[in-house]
This record gives sequence, C-alpha cells and structure tokens, in this order.
Amino acid sequence: MTTTTSHKATSYQRSAWAFLGPGAAVVVLVLYLPVLYTVYLSFTTYSGLGSPVFAGVANYVALVQDPVFVTSLVNTLIWVAGSLLIPVGIGLVVAYLSFGLKGAAWLRVPFLIPYALSGVAVGIVFGFVLQNGGALSQALAFLHLPGSETRWLQEAPLNTVVMILAASWQGIGVNALLFTVGLQSIPKEPLEAARVDGASGWRLFRFMVWPLLRPSTTIVVGLSIVNSLKTFDIVQAMTQGGPNRVSETLGVSMYRDTFSNSDYGLGSAVAIFLSIITVAASVIYVRRQLAIGDSSGDTASKDA
Amino acid sequence: MVSKVLRYGILGIMGLIWLLPIYLLLANAGKSTADYSGDALWTPGSVTGLVDNVVAVFQTTDVPSGLGITFVYAIVAPIIAVALGAGIAFAVIVLKVKHGFFWFFVIFCGTVFPLQMMLIPWFSVYAKIGLFDTVPGMIIIYSVVALPFSAFVMRNFFAGIAPSVFEAAVVDGAGTWRIFTRIFLPMSTSALVVVFILQATWVWNDFLISLILTQSPSTRPVMPLLNALQSVEGGGPGYTVILTAALVVSIPTALLFGFTQRFFQRGLSLGQY
Repeated sequence: MTTTTSHKATSYQRSAWAFLGPGAAVVVLVLYLPVLYTVYLSFTTYSGLGSPVFAGVANYVALVQDPVFVTSLVNTLIWVAGSLLIPVGIGLVVAYLSFGLKGAAWLRVPFLIPYALSGVAVGIVFGFVLQNGGALSQALAFLHLPGSETRWLQEAPLNTVVMILAASWQGIGVNALLFTVGLQSIPKEPLEAARVDGASGWRLFRFMVWPLLRPSTTIVVGLSIVNSLKTFDIVQAMTQGGPNRVSETLGVSMYRDTFSNSDYGLGSAVAIFLSIITVAASVIYVRRQLAIGDSSGDTASKDA
Repeated sequence: MVSKVLRYGILGIMGLIWLLPIYLLLANAGKSTADYSGDALWTPGSVTGLVDNVVAVFQTTDVPSGLGITFVYAIVAPIIAVALGAGIAFAVIVLKVKHGFFWFFVIFCGTVFPLQMMLIPWFSVYAKIGLFDTVPGMIIIYSVVALPFSAFVMRNFFAGIAPSVFEAAVVDGAGTWRIFTRIFLPMSTSALVVVFILQATWVWNDFLISLILTQSPSTRPVMPLLNALQSVEGGGPGYTVILTAALVVSIPTALLFGFTQRFFQRGLSLGQY
C-alpha cells in the first residue's frame, strides 16, 4: 500500500497543505456537511417552511409502510439486475468479438454514439420510439408481429424493462471500451500457450480470458450497480415515474417526495436508504480503484 | 476464418440495430410539422425540414436561451475541478503530505454518496444565503461534485511520474509552486484534458442538480429546458421540434467526443471511469 519515500515526508508539509487544503475544505463543506444535514432531516418533519421538528423514526416507519416506496425499491433492484445483465453482458460481447479484428475501433463506433447523448435526450428519443402508436408499434405492425398494441410505457413492470433497454442502448459503448482496455492489458503469452494446447472458442474465453479480465469486470460491475441504483434522468424524462408512481426508482421517489410533495423528512429518509445501498455497493469497486496507482505500477494483475 | 466473418457479421448487425434510434431521431427531426402525421415514422426526412425545425427550435422554444449558460458551466466548473484535483494529487503523491492517503480517501469518498443525499441541504442553504438560482452557486456545486474524480485521475497519473523528477527540480532550487505549475502540470496535459472532457460532458448533461437549483432563464441550463418541452403537450411544440431540440443540445458533446476520441482509451485506463 505504501510507496517508498525517497525524500523526507515532513519537509514540505506546509506547502503540501496549501495544495491539499482548498480541495479538502470544499469537499467537506459542500459534500459531507450536507450529508450530515440530510441524516438529521430524516428524523424530522419538515415542509421546507419554518424549521424542522424532531419526529424520531416516524419517517422510516412511514417509508416501509408506503406501497410507493416498496414499488420504487423493487423497480430499483430490477434496474440493478437489468443493468448487469444487458449493458455489462453485451458490452463484454462487443469488446470480445471486436478484439483483435481489423477496424475494431470502427465497429465499436455505433455503440459509442449514444454515449454522447444525455439521459434526457435518450429519454426523448425512446419516448418517441415507445409511445402508443410510436415507431416500435408501427414497425411491429408492418412486420405483422404481435405487440403493436402494447402500451410500452404505461404498464408496470414493462415500462421499467423498456427504460432499462433505453439506458442499455446508451451505456453499452462505455462498458465495451472498459472491457477492451482490460483485454488489451492481458498478457499475450498465456493465451498463445492455451491456443497451442488446442483451447479455442468458449473454453478459451471461460478458462483463460474471463479470469484474467477480472480487474476490469470488477470495475464495470461495480460502476453499473452504483449507477443503476442512482437512476433518475431517463425515468424522469420518459415516465416521470408514472403512471401513478409505478415506475419510480428510489432516485425519482426522493425527488417526488421532497420537491413535489414538500415532505423533506420522508425525502431525506429515501435518500438515506438509497445512500446505504449505494455505499455498500461502492465498496466492491472503490477498493479496486484505489489499489490502482497506489503502489507504483503493476497492480492490474495482482488479484486476478 | 469462418469465425472472423461471423464476428464481423454479428458486430455489423448489432451496430446497425444500435444506429436505428439515431436514424429515427434524424429522420423525424427532418420532417416539417405539416408533413408529420405520426403514421409514417420510419420514412426519411429532408434537409430543408431539418433546417426549418432547427429554426423553430431557436425561435419558439426556451432551449437555446440555456445554451450560453450551459457552456459557461461546462467550461468553468471542470477547469476549477481539474486545478483543485491536481493540487490534491500533487500534495498527496509528490509532496507526501502527512496522512495523505487518509485525506485522499476522504476526498475520493465524496463521490460515493448519491446526489440525492445533498440536494435538500444545497437547496435550503442556497435559498438562505442567496446562492439559489445563481451562476456562482451552480459553478461551486458542479466544481466540487467533479473534484473527487479529478483528484483520483490526477493521483493515478502523478503516481506514474518518477520521484527523481521532483528531486531534480528541488536540487535546481525551484519552489513547490513553481514545480507544480512549470513541471507537473505541463507533464500531465493528457490527463488534465481527459478529466476536463469527462467532467464537461457530465456538467453539460446534468439534469438533476439544475432541475432543483435553478429556475430563471439566466441560470437554467439546457437539460431541464429540453425536458420541459415534453410536458407542455397540446400547447407545446410538436414532436418534430422536440426531437430537433434533443439533437441540437447533443451536438456539442458529440463533437467533443468525436474530436477527442484518441484521448479516450487513455483516459479510461487512467481513471477506470
């Protein structure tokens, strides 16, 4: 974990603090103090006017009894599972299939274009595709396939599923790039040796590539879990969590409870619930991320 | 050989499927509201239709009024974040500040909390101290939210610079500030650019923070404005204009990505973002 110090650790302390201080101060002030204040608010009743009134765990009790919250939690978990299955899975497929092919970078371009779009823009495009009588329904009708009458965005859990597909459309390119970087860092010799021994196709992937790719997988999986837990933009832009709050995620519920229904205490409790799961999930990849560059250099294959 | 052809085939077909939504976006952004009846969504549009719609976006919607201020946010905030982040990395890796890893860990962990955890305090404190719905208020929050990632990437980058670089400069009599600005910053241009691009994209695409902390035309950036077009149905612009607006606000990030593609893989391996 520690790098060897070739100059005294103490000789530049004063100037070191001039470099570290401003950044550390604003992070504590703008990120950490608000977190503490939100924790406090979750134990109060507060409508945004006047001052918060202490209410014990009332918000948390209200939360677990609230069917909207339960739906929202289930939807969020569907988002997490879906984001692992589709963008991570297909991202790996795209990276592996294109790896080593001539023009691989060009083959990956279609998957990267959506990444330039914002969540709101993706929501608008897919809202257009999925609306009743929209592009998807017309295509299905034209091809005489079933489903042209389906109301994609109105029925739960279908609306959550199609929104996950929209998010996947956007997210696969980055995952494919991350996996490509991972594939490039795999040493060539063991793979060649395995090929000489006759391993190919699925067996080569399963027993050679997959284990060696683990550092990348950890990070892609960790980031996917954390980002899907925080889902807000696409849902807010496509269904606003509706109809009747059936497609809300925790991120959307927090927004709705707090800023639409002016129930700051309840909103804070949702935020805390979301934070606890997010922080727990972050541990998966933060450890990995912090290991990189900590000892100088070769950490990439350390615990593969 | 067969497997290679198969791989090209699968990737090619998948790529085409991936481009379909982009095609639909362009095709329907290129139809005039008069031509658009909603029952021929797959037919291509025309360039004149697209031009008319772009004109309509600029003349009839609020979205363009947010473009200028969004540029300001997306340029200024990442610069501040990159500068402060490089300073943190310099203190921790090069100057070896005491308990450096602890402080770095504290700063880095600022990113693990979801933004929902800070929105209410930002909103109520900003309302009290007069920063709500102001440009400086938005720049402060964008910069600080972007800071931990910036510090993280710069730390990884500085860790790859040999300690002898610093020692040689000290022997030459340079002070720490001079070493930072004249040696370490110029050496790390590629990392600084990568962080800037990623954070500028994030700020440009931000929806949640700006939705809550801005309301007036002079402060509100494009994403909440774009989203609001959808909710004024009936009296609002037609779908062709909304799609064109989505296209217009996506062009700056698309161009940024296109021109800086080379930096990307490098940045990904640096930041594992």
